[in-house]
Amino acid sequence: MSHNLLSKALVGGVAIGAVVLLGAAADVTPDDSEKGVPPTPSRLLDVPESHIIPGNIKVQPKIENPVADDSDAVNRGMKYFANFNCAGCHAANGAGGMGPALSDHTFKFGSDPANIYLTISHGRPTGMPAWGTLLPSNVIWDLVAYIKSISNAPSPQWGKTTSLDAFKIEQVPAEFQSTPTPWQYTEPFSYGQKPTAEVNSGMNTK
Amino acid sequence: MTSPHRSHAVSRPLAGLAIIAAGLFCLASGAEPAAAADDSSAPEMGHQVKGPQNVETVMPGAAGGKPETKIPTKGTDQKAEPEDQSTGKDQSDGNTQPTAADEAQTQNKSEAHAQPEPVYPEGSPLNKSGSQAQSGPAANEAEKSAAAPAEQPKAVEAKPAPTEAEPEGTTTTYGATPEEIEKRMSEETEKPATAAKGSDIEALSNDPAQWPTAAKNYASTRYSKLDQINVNNVGKLQAAWMFSLGTIAGQEAAPLVVDNVMYVIGPYPNEVFALDATTGDLKWSYKPKPNPSAIGVACCDVVTRGLAYDHGKIFITTLDDFAVALDAKSGKELWHTKLGDINLGETTTMAPLAADGKIFIGNSGGEMGVRGWMTALDQETGEIVWRGYSTGPDSEVLIGDDFKAPYESMKGKDLGVKTWPPDHWKIGGGAPWGWVSYDPETNMIFYGSGNPGPWNSNQRPGDNKWTTTIFARDADTGSVKWAYQVNPHDLWDYDEINENLLLDLDIDGHTRKTLIHVGRNGHMYVMDRKTGELISAEPYDTVTSIKKIDLKTGRPVLNPDMKPDLNKVVRNVCPASPGAKDWQPSAYSPRTKLMYVPHQHLCMNYKTTEVGYIAGTPFVGAVVDMYAGPGGYRGEYMAWDPVQKKKVWAIKEKFPVWSGTVVTAGDVAFYGTMDRWLKAVNAKTGDLLWKFRAGSGFIGQPVTYKGSDGRQYVAILDGVGGWSGAIAHADIDPRARNGALGFTGAMQDLPAYTKGGAELLVFAIPKEANAQASADHNHQANAAQ
Repeated sequence: MSHNLLSKALVGGVAIGAVVLLGAAADVTPDDSEKGVPPTPSRLLDVPESHIIPGNIKVQPKIENPVADDSDAVNRGMKYFANFNCAGCHAANGAGGMGPALSDHTFKFGSDPANIYLTISHGRPTGMPAWGTLLPSNVIWDLVAYIKSISNAPSPQWGKTTSLDAFKIEQVPAEFQSTPTPWQYTEPFSYGQKPTAEVNSGMNTK
Repeated sequence: MTSPHRSHAVSRPLAGLAIIAAGLFCLASGAEPAAAADDSSAPEMGHQVKGPQNVETVMPGAAGGKPETKIPTKGTDQKAEPEDQSTGKDQSDGNTQPTAADEAQTQNKSEAHAQPEPVYPEGSPLNKSGSQAQSGPAANEAEKSAAAPAEQPKAVEAKPAPTEAEPEGTTTTYGATPEEIEKRMSEETEKPATAAKGSDIEALSNDPAQWPTAAKNYASTRYSKLDQINVNNVGKLQAAWMFSLGTIAGQEAAPLVVDNVMYVIGPYPNEVFALDATTGDLKWSYKPKPNPSAIGVACCDVVTRGLAYDHGKIFITTLDDFAVALDAKSGKELWHTKLGDINLGETTTMAPLAADGKIFIGNSGGEMGVRGWMTALDQETGEIVWRGYSTGPDSEVLIGDDFKAPYESMKGKDLGVKTWPPDHWKIGGGAPWGWVSYDPETNMIFYGSGNPGPWNSNQRPGDNKWTTTIFARDADTGSVKWAYQVNPHDLWDYDEINENLLLDLDIDGHTRKTLIHVGRNGHMYVMDRKTGELISAEPYDTVTSIKKIDLKTGRPVLNPDMKPDLNKVVRNVCPASPGAKDWQPSAYSPRTKLMYVPHQHLCMNYKTTEVGYIAGTPFVGAVVDMYAGPGGYRGEYMAWDPVQKKKVWAIKEKFPVWSGTVVTAGDVAFYGTMDRWLKAVNAKTGDLLWKFRAGSGFIGQPVTYKGSDGRQYVAILDGVGGWSGAIAHADIDPRARNGALGFTGAMQDLPAYTKGGAELLVFAIPKEANAQASADHNHQANAAQ
């Protein structure tokens, strides 16, 4: 790097420092839109995927799921989850497989409704197909509602401990229980043996 | 009806999807779906057959850019530039419709793919003719009948890990005594090898120092004549060197060793490494650039099962359907050929086989509604010599006049079309993603095809030929000599891609040229490899789904109590979907005359559900829940006598034995467990002789070779994953049993034993110990004589 370039870079660094100070003082929070009305595409464009914003400017467009108050949305979402083969990759109840689990609050690309909406609509380069061309936005918002519902795992601690002793519960498996709230129906962990529900209820036909 | 910005977004290759999208908007607005279809200008797109039009070959430095690529058309010698192929010639009915739009497609090859016509379940909002488009899926109604404990309260106290009913890691003896095995060993005969046409492999595989192909040899015995490491000294085995492949995912590949150079390939992104097989020095590495989106269409982790060597070249496939040739000395890329399309759900994960101047590669994607194919490429140029499909008209399966059906139900014209609902064969699966064996004497290849799609068998009445079929093809032309369908109208995802061992066995006083297929359906098939006729087919693990194999008809007699009617939960189906054995290959020792079979011991609950075909997404339609079979254990390593048709000894393991195996003239057999043990056992008795605790669970294939220092080495890749083990390294919830296509139920505690890994492990006996033990062995051998 020449001396000239170096000094330019240094000057630039000082300028950025100034922006940082300004940025910290002014969070950018766009106005919320009307409740129940889908956000416009331009508002969705403001949703960041990264949590590092240069200048430390906090961009937080408050985009609620427009079907958040529609109690039937999760049921429609469950139907779409099966019909568009989401279940083929993410498995029944979002257990995970070809695609990551959706059952444990953990979302690689963000857990806000708008993040999940964008993941479905745009796809992600590590395998998630881009569904925005195929699915209308109301279908995607229903899917978001369902996914938020199945992700609601009991989480007694911040991180996750894995050990034979730490395994406590499992969901009642989907062949016996079809529900948009699978974490309401659990049973003791089976350690690779038959599901407890079957054994306990005498459904073992053997 | 449709919003303007969406209409613009729909490009020509997506016309088929445009219909779907339009249908959805109708759903939302309550309009008739039929009217929406009129909005699309290109419904014909849905009828084109996908196929070799997706092929392109690139040779760096080749004069004039791309070489010609030959299209596999039976009876013709049609050649065309790759550009011409994207017009989607439909060889089945000659319905070729090149249009201006087709020409436009060629401008962007990555999008120039014909879309098979979508098929949707009743009640799906995508179903154009469906009258119940507004109702919920039929699955919901049927849930009522499932006696689920809906009122069960939350979180009962967990029970401790169950005590296994049968002890793990101990050997149970069933049949031949060690004395009987000794007697056989004195009768050991090995036939001189026939020189293979245009291949180094036959000569190399007879040299015990080499491991030139994943199966060691064309007969796929995975047997080594090396005996430096033997039952007397294997206990002294120590790690010699290691190498990290750097990519955490299932490590299923077999290392190859040719002239003291070891070649290994990792899972996606399929990086290749050449190392000094004695010192571990890295000679070169090669990194292809597969499309990361391929991860999203790989059913069962992003594995590869290995690479191939021949004539100074290394051949690999990438997850996104490229075949690549490298110079074995330098690692320089020689050519790469695109074989398939991830937008149709196709991937390639198998270890290619090199023989007869060609490379043989089949596609994966039986869970994605692909149409299975086996493709032969020219080793020199990367051109496609032929492609034989698993489904469709005889002209595309390459069934001609020289085809002889082994059984009545396998006779008839175009069974690959007639045994399906209309057009379903185009998305019917049958991907041959497993192993290819080769018989140089007859110049034939043998391999099995995978499951039909979708798993929900109610959507595809008929035998669904030629899925789950063992094919015998002429290596030069691909012409099918015989084909034996193992599971007509497969109900349980019993792919039959497993290895086929070509053994000459003495059966009832005659030497029979057999093919042994360790069936996913739990039966050990001994067949006449000239005709495909069954000699025997006996169960080798718990089987409840099939009563027996009828040797007269060649068909399994199914258990009628286990018919998987739509939305009905069928319980205790054994074996489970991965079969009593999956891809993990067996070995055969000509000394003990026994097969060594790593396998699983699982049963399952299974519920079929309606599913619609959307290209590039899963086409499964089943809720699956697997668990340990009777006795509570989940895997087994067994010795099997293929002539006496019985188990000789077996070692029970906690988890499926998902690794390969090797057996040697030192009468030692090696295999790995998913709870991180590499084990050496006595091939005669099954007694444990040595074990090593590694960094991650094993699903790789052990091999053995001789280094430049004259010592025998044992090598294996370590790193758990694959369909069974992905739960240990991928984002899969152990508490939701139906994950990983139902495998989670059986593997949910694996994360408490291992994480993923990416380590190549190489073992040898330290020099001093080696000298002493060899002397002991020779002394004993002399004493025995």
